[in-house]
Amino acid sequence: MTIKITLDPITRISGPLSIEVEIEKNKIVNAKSSGVQYRGFEKMLTGRSPLDAVYFTERICGICSVAHGVSASLALEDALKVKPDANGIKVRNFAHAADFLQNIIRQICLYVFPDYVKISALPGSIGGDFRLPEKYTEKINEDYIKAIEYSRLAHEMVALIGGKVPHSHGIFVGGTTVSLDPFKIIRLKSILQSINDFIANNMVEDINIIAEYYTEYYKIGGGTGNLLTYGLFDEMGEGELHYVNPSVYIKGKAYKLNAKAITEGTAYSWYSGNKISRVPSMEPTETDIKKEGAYTFIKAARYEGKVMQVGPLARMILSGSYKNRISTMDRLMARVLEGKKLSEKMLKLLEIIEPIPAVQERYTIPESSVGMGLKDSVRGALGHWLAIEKGVIKNYDIVTPSVWNLSPVDERGQHGAMEEALIGTEIKDVSHPIEIGRIIRSFDPCLSCATHVITDCREPYYIDLI
Amino acid sequence: MKIAQEAVDRIKEGNGNKINFIWIEANGCAGDIISFLNADEPDALYFLKEMVNLKYSPSLMQAEGERAYEEFLETLNTDFILGVEGSLTNVENGFYDIFAYYKGKTISVAEAVAKAAEKAKHIIAIGTCASFAGISAARPNPTGCTSLSGFLGREVINVPGCPANPLWVMGTVASLVLYNKVEVDDKGRPLMFFKDTNHVNCERRSYFDNKINAQKLGDKECMFKLGCRGPVTKAYCPIGRWNSRINWPVGDNTPCIGCANEYFPDGSEPFVRY
Repeated sequence: MTIKITLDPITRISGPLSIEVEIEKNKIVNAKSSGVQYRGFEKMLTGRSPLDAVYFTERICGICSVAHGVSASLALEDALKVKPDANGIKVRNFAHAADFLQNIIRQICLYVFPDYVKISALPGSIGGDFRLPEKYTEKINEDYIKAIEYSRLAHEMVALIGGKVPHSHGIFVGGTTVSLDPFKIIRLKSILQSINDFIANNMVEDINIIAEYYTEYYKIGGGTGNLLTYGLFDEMGEGELHYVNPSVYIKGKAYKLNAKAITEGTAYSWYSGNKISRVPSMEPTETDIKKEGAYTFIKAARYEGKVMQVGPLARMILSGSYKNRISTMDRLMARVLEGKKLSEKMLKLLEIIEPIPAVQERYTIPESSVGMGLKDSVRGALGHWLAIEKGVIKNYDIVTPSVWNLSPVDERGQHGAMEEALIGTEIKDVSHPIEIGRIIRSFDPCLSCATHVITDCREPYYIDLI
Repeated sequence: MKIAQEAVDRIKEGNGNKINFIWIEANGCAGDIISFLNADEPDALYFLKEMVNLKYSPSLMQAEGERAYEEFLETLNTDFILGVEGSLTNVENGFYDIFAYYKGKTISVAEAVAKAAEKAKHIIAIGTCASFAGISAARPNPTGCTSLSGFLGREVINVPGCPANPLWVMGTVASLVLYNKVEVDDKGRPLMFFKDTNHVNCERRSYFDNKINAQKLGDKECMFKLGCRGPVTKAYCPIGRWNSRINWPVGDNTPCIGCANEYFPDGSEPFVRY
């Protein structure tokens, strides 16, 4: 007998996600990840002033807005042939990483902890599989409360550079708009040191406690071993600031990223047609919510036709910072350890950031041009591609991390990474399928970012990212 | 006797003086709840412990799936404040924004909001999308988004801002909790935060008055010639500032882009001009 379970809403993620699984003899035999929100940002961007893309696209996502500002700035710098200021790049990278810390603290403590520990500050319950002894439950409840403070502090660092956040102003073409001085530097440093302490001393211990009591999650929810990153801190030289280069890992071998190998398909998505488009594709078409077999607003991003996993675990493995092991618990562990690693790198980065005024220009918009901005956000690879014609945006294409991890089945019948991670999982109690939510949250889904319109493939341009 | 027992039960639950709160995330970026978590003095924790019982919040609640929806339904039979962020899309029966799947039926956000609004004691639109449709309705408005008041066909309290500043949301809820009302202007905006334009209180006002203009972002002078919308944007930014009151866009050498305005973003563009 096959049991079908639909979980909607999946809470404690960013944006609305619905998950449908089929279970036979307590095992998941099929899974559908369904993004149940559509906004159409790419369609809105057509015809707008190119420089507005930075502030406009940040508003795709409330929890990772800085990442969109960074990718949009990179794409514009590429299109406008602007060489960003060296100090400006460091400041922008610092703000980008500060938003990573905000994300990591909120995701692990506010979103994931309640999966494994009864959090008394929260209403409701997901059932009784809470295994921690009282002293650890108390500790993690205390850290849940502290996480509210430290995630706010992480956003204070972004706001010191960006004016405000979510939806900052100071991450911009050319680097940044903020003029730094010694007081701002020491303020950033003091905040960062306290966050670094919290992650290194509290969160690392917390996640190890959880891992110890839920060991089977090292064997659950793996999914594809193919990994992808657009890089992070890769322009910071080869020294101790460097983190991970744009790269992929396919069937046991690592390669440099080749941006022209990225495609998006819509075989099972609510968009008209079912073509495979190279990214970027050049002309928006329409949604088709009556499409036979379709079940999501998320497209199927693939690399050389393959399903890829993106995010902290992918970056940690590709940078040689974590053993090559993929599971629900490894994704959580890697996220916390990445937070520690990044906050340490940020402390070093701060030492070489100069307390000087912003370097900005009056940028000239070309009559026509194209640009690409690829950089990892906390959830994984985030790409912005734009085309300018007659001085305005002709086409804007965005491929978000959730389009990689949460993608549906593609035209070849391959499940997306999270679907694959769910399939094969044993469900202990079908009336309380808690394993499902735990696996899903380890991917840190962001549905706010799944905002696409399909674009037809027409004269794609190719850029090698080597 | 029954009333006394209810009172005892409520005190036992620790819910004695607090009203319930439902926070719905409609079509938007879920950035208003993130912004709200940035609140300080009082912070989000004080809000949870002392001001309201947060019964429903997709970003924060422990329950998921049908149980989460049941908690929503149960709260509808109590005294509660409804907060909605994001704008409302109701084309194609609300298909572009789904709230829950319950007992074989898909419930759209639009349906859930309409249901909750019927019973709510107060309704707050949190952020520019809920207040005025905002960026979710930017040209060509692909999902037919409307404001919360437009969708419901009735007045609500509007706390615009992209995102809503946590200080403004906290102050608005405080007014409702402490005094059971909040004074608003003709657009439903709390007067304590939306009385003056950002220009009135701008720290760069003397540059404006002396016609000393910034040439580019990153400069320290008046941003008016670069497209600053401070003169036409009523908000509290120069006074309350952002993120624990430490900065705001003008303090960051960039123009106000009018994100709290009724016509944001289409009426604010281009955000930057040289």
